[in-house]
Amino acid sequence: MKIDTLFIDKAVQKDLEIEYLLSKVNADPQWVDNTQTIYDFINSDDDPILRAKKTLYITRNKGAVIKECPGTSFYTCCDYTILHTGTFCTMDCSYCILQAYFHPPVLQYFAGLKKLGHTLEKTFRQNKIFRIGTGEYTDSLIWEKISLQPKFLIETFAKQNNCLLELKTKTVNIESLLHLDHNEKTVFAWSLNTPAVISSEEKGTASLKARFEAARRVESEGYKLAFHFDPIVIYPGCEVQYKKVVKQIFKYVHPESIVWISIGTFRFMPKLKQIIEKRFKHSTIPYGEFILGLDNKMRYFKPLRINIYKEIISCIREYAPDLMVYFCMEDQEVWEKCIGFFPEKEGELGHLLDKSAVTHCSLNSNLL
Amino acid sequence: MSDHLCEIDVSDIDLADERYKILFSENNIEFLAQSIEETGLIYPPIVRPVNNKFIIISGFNRIRAHIHNNRVHNGKIKIVVYKTNADTTDYQCLLKSIAALAFKRPLTQAELIACTSRLYHFLDEKQIAEKSSAIFNTELSVRFVKDLLIAAGLPDPGLKLIHTGHLSFKSAKKIALFEKDTIKIFLEIFSNIRASNNKQLEIILYIMEIAARDNILPGKIFKNQEIQDILFDDKKETGLKTSLLRACLFELRFPTVFKMRQKVLKKITSVKFGNKIKFLPPENLDSQTNSISFTARTYEEFASNVQNLNAVLGKKELKELFNQ
Repeated sequence: MKIDTLFIDKAVQKDLEIEYLLSKVNADPQWVDNTQTIYDFINSDDDPILRAKKTLYITRNKGAVIKECPGTSFYTCCDYTILHTGTFCTMDCSYCILQAYFHPPVLQYFAGLKKLGHTLEKTFRQNKIFRIGTGEYTDSLIWEKISLQPKFLIETFAKQNNCLLELKTKTVNIESLLHLDHNEKTVFAWSLNTPAVISSEEKGTASLKARFEAARRVESEGYKLAFHFDPIVIYPGCEVQYKKVVKQIFKYVHPESIVWISIGTFRFMPKLKQIIEKRFKHSTIPYGEFILGLDNKMRYFKPLRINIYKEIISCIREYAPDLMVYFCMEDQEVWEKCIGFFPEKEGELGHLLDKSAVTHCSLNSNLL
Repeated sequence: MSDHLCEIDVSDIDLADERYKILFSENNIEFLAQSIEETGLIYPPIVRPVNNKFIIISGFNRIRAHIHNNRVHNGKIKIVVYKTNADTTDYQCLLKSIAALAFKRPLTQAELIACTSRLYHFLDEKQIAEKSSAIFNTELSVRFVKDLLIAAGLPDPGLKLIHTGHLSFKSAKKIALFEKDTIKIFLEIFSNIRASNNKQLEIILYIMEIAARDNILPGKIFKNQEIQDILFDDKKETGLKTSLLRACLFELRFPTVFKMRQKVLKKITSVKFGNKIKFLPPENLDSQTNSISFTARTYEEFASNVQNLNAVLGKKELKELFNQ
């Protein structure tokens, strides 16, 4: 989606970071006093979500820059840390929870690399391993085309040894980042899906092949990798298709470069269904066999989840028996039936992932 | 502007012209006829002169009852009516027809829909809402007027189903937005079953979702032999038809969930816990927490239940329930 409208918070000072953004975004900046102007602009459109994807608001992060991932108590969480650098996305995935998460959604870029650096310094000084990502409330690399932020983050993380930076994306925006001195502290992570799901549900994203090619290129520059099968969409014949995707991973990159692979089936807040039905009339993803989960999200019926997980995991194991594979938000039964064990203790899954992070990204092993 | 009272010949009334009729069903006029016989016509009907004839604005039943009372007479039947002035507009006649009924008793939803739809030829949603208390004897919000207009998109059989309680207003609103053929199918379904609002909405939801998922028209689901057998079996009560239809649609919409539920229920039955012990599998089979309960009024009942539980402990089926 091309950004055609640009708002800038008057509180943001025009510096190098902003000059760069302005030079890359092809729209006249409108300086505003408050966010209401943007809300009103977006809400006045027939499709506010689509409007929001084309409207960039450069502002400051007025809340916490570093946050814990909002997992729920009923399903096992990976204790991830979110670096809040922006919100929303220019791509248009039908299942994207961000459509329902923000009211209204606003494509925000949080300016202030200096402040970001200072906040990170505090985290870098802690005696603890952190897995930090920017891809929770936005796609990490949509910003590569227009801002210096991804470059700044990679170079900042390169200078410490207790934090891993994960840049999650469905783009192939890697060009300006390839030759940076990353010191192995950055992991490029691609969200993967079958070509059928990508073409029908992930509008504006890179093709599967392009994602793999980009993964191969960053790997050749020494970056570590991660892959996320999330959301897995269940449809007739999907098992074969997902296994094909798994096989392709190992055709393109080496298993040793992969820090982890996460898998999770499509789950959603009930209100997302209406949005999908309204905005993506041809999408059939809301019509799977969903039940209301313990966290009040719709999830595929458990036997269906277990079945597809088993297929994908056994395929991964064929190529990489020791690769860290984990579930995003699943319960004990699913873990035990599909992976053979359950990280029962609080923080156990997080610790396993920390270990993989230390091994792959040369973090300080004394902090484990 | 005011109508004036006069006596006219019933034969001068065009009884076939029902353009201002609001009532959906032909009421039994027996009692009304008796009442008119006893007390006379208390409220004269309102008629409008059109092309040397009169058309009824209000009082369809009163006129029928009056004719009924006088059918044995051979001579001309006279009736006292309010006759509108020649310059009374169509809109004013419509207002009279609605207000005459609405100030006698609250209009039913089907009547509200029909009236709003007719008023929409003269007023927009906002104007209808603004004038609602004067016309309908109740305040209608703009949003509700809009909803009424959506439901008004249904063909006449739809409004009749609303009137008879076979189709809820919410369901009517929902199906009114579908294609003509799909509307027809739902009207056919709801005319053959009797379901609460929630159950109607569930039936609509499942059919539309199955159709979307399988990329087929809802008509194909309707033609499913099992569904046809349920709907058109005259020996079955409408309530039973509703239960069977819902079960059938659930199986089509959630085949795996349905199979698994059946399997679990079969296993619970095969364990034979005893009549007073309830075994409940996890909600949606998503958690691993089963629950078991019984009630006991006396120690003996309590002991009997515990003994029954002890008796099933070693059963293979019970263990399987915990290892689905």
